[in-house]
Amino acid sequence: MKAGDSQLEILIGRVLRIGVFASTACLAVGLVLALIDPALAPWLLNVGILLLIATPAARVVLSIVEYAIARDRTFLILTTIVLLELLSGAIAALVFHKKI
Amino acid sequence: MIVTPALALIIFVAGAAAGALGALLGLGGGIFLVPLLNLGLGFPIGVAAAISLATVIATSSAVTAGKAGQHLMNFRFGMVLEVATAAGSVLGGITAQFVSQALLQRLFAGVTAAVAIVTIARSNRRNVIADPNVDPGVLGGRFFDQERGCEVVYRIKNMPLALGASFVAGNVSSLLGIGGGVIKVPVLNAWCGMPLRAAAATSAFMIGVTATGGAIIYYGSGQLPPIAAAAAILGVQCGSFAGLRLSPTMPVRVLKLLLAAILGVVSTLMLVKGMR
Repeated sequence: MKAGDSQLEILIGRVLRIGVFASTACLAVGLVLALIDPALAPWLLNVGILLLIATPAARVVLSIVEYAIARDRTFLILTTIVLLELLSGAIAALVFHKKI
Repeated sequence: MIVTPALALIIFVAGAAAGALGALLGLGGGIFLVPLLNLGLGFPIGVAAAISLATVIATSSAVTAGKAGQHLMNFRFGMVLEVATAAGSVLGGITAQFVSQALLQRLFAGVTAAVAIVTIARSNRRNVIADPNVDPGVLGGRFFDQERGCEVVYRIKNMPLALGASFVAGNVSSLLGIGGGVIKVPVLNAWCGMPLRAAAATSAFMIGVTATGGAIIYYGSGQLPPIAAAAAILGVQCGSFAGLRLSPTMPVRVLKLLLAAILGVVSTLMLVKGMR
């Protein structure tokens, strides 16, 4: 544990809370609309799912920024590798892309 | 499969049950949701895994946000392990596009059986240093244990094993649609010096990234049906909220035995299905 870790913990908590709230709201409204009439707002559920998937990635980006500001090279490198791994997953997703 | 309001409600309830258990045990709920969706509701295991991974992300984000500030989660150690677990999950997500349903079910049975056995074998052990003056090192941690009513300090041991387990957990996570906490929590608790609660909280933090690596590939390949996913995610959110309220007061030994019993049942059911 180092000084600054507690602040990062609170920031991460805030980003995750916003992401969860936004995606849950889209999914809840989207689900109700989809069950009433599938033609109402089909994009809303996809927005909710994309927000959900983007939330942990946003948390990794936040960590990268914080470690860059704190000049913590070891953890800057580690968190950057994690982000690159997630990006390679996104590239694989495009390779396997099929419409539902 | 067309999702009617009745089916959406069933998926919601299944999600709520899985989410409550997952939050109690620090596993993300996927280990319970995949069998419910695959064996119970007849979704292909790839679709069940995709839906489950989406709920795992939601649980991880919600649990992490809820526990931020309690010092139970070890962010630094978690971020080191994420390097291994994210690599494992992306590779697992790619592999899952080429593997048969029966093989995945047998793998699911094997993983859950192994974890149940390890959990029972170690249900009496605690890796806690009682003296709060011990130096936790760079990656260790300290937190206030509500069950024991005192501060607890621990050091991290066996770093290569922790990294290896995280890679395997990431891989299995994407293949089977579980968070991977089911592998990481016992390993971190049994061999790496982490108390169960700290291991569970740190795992809950990591599995968001783990599940994202796999979920994005399933989403891209069209295996994540939005309506079913939304119903499951909302159910899991409600369930894990309830589970999170209960978790600080449940005794560790009860948690471990409950986990082992459920895993035993899941393993048997998956094996029977995978052998047909």
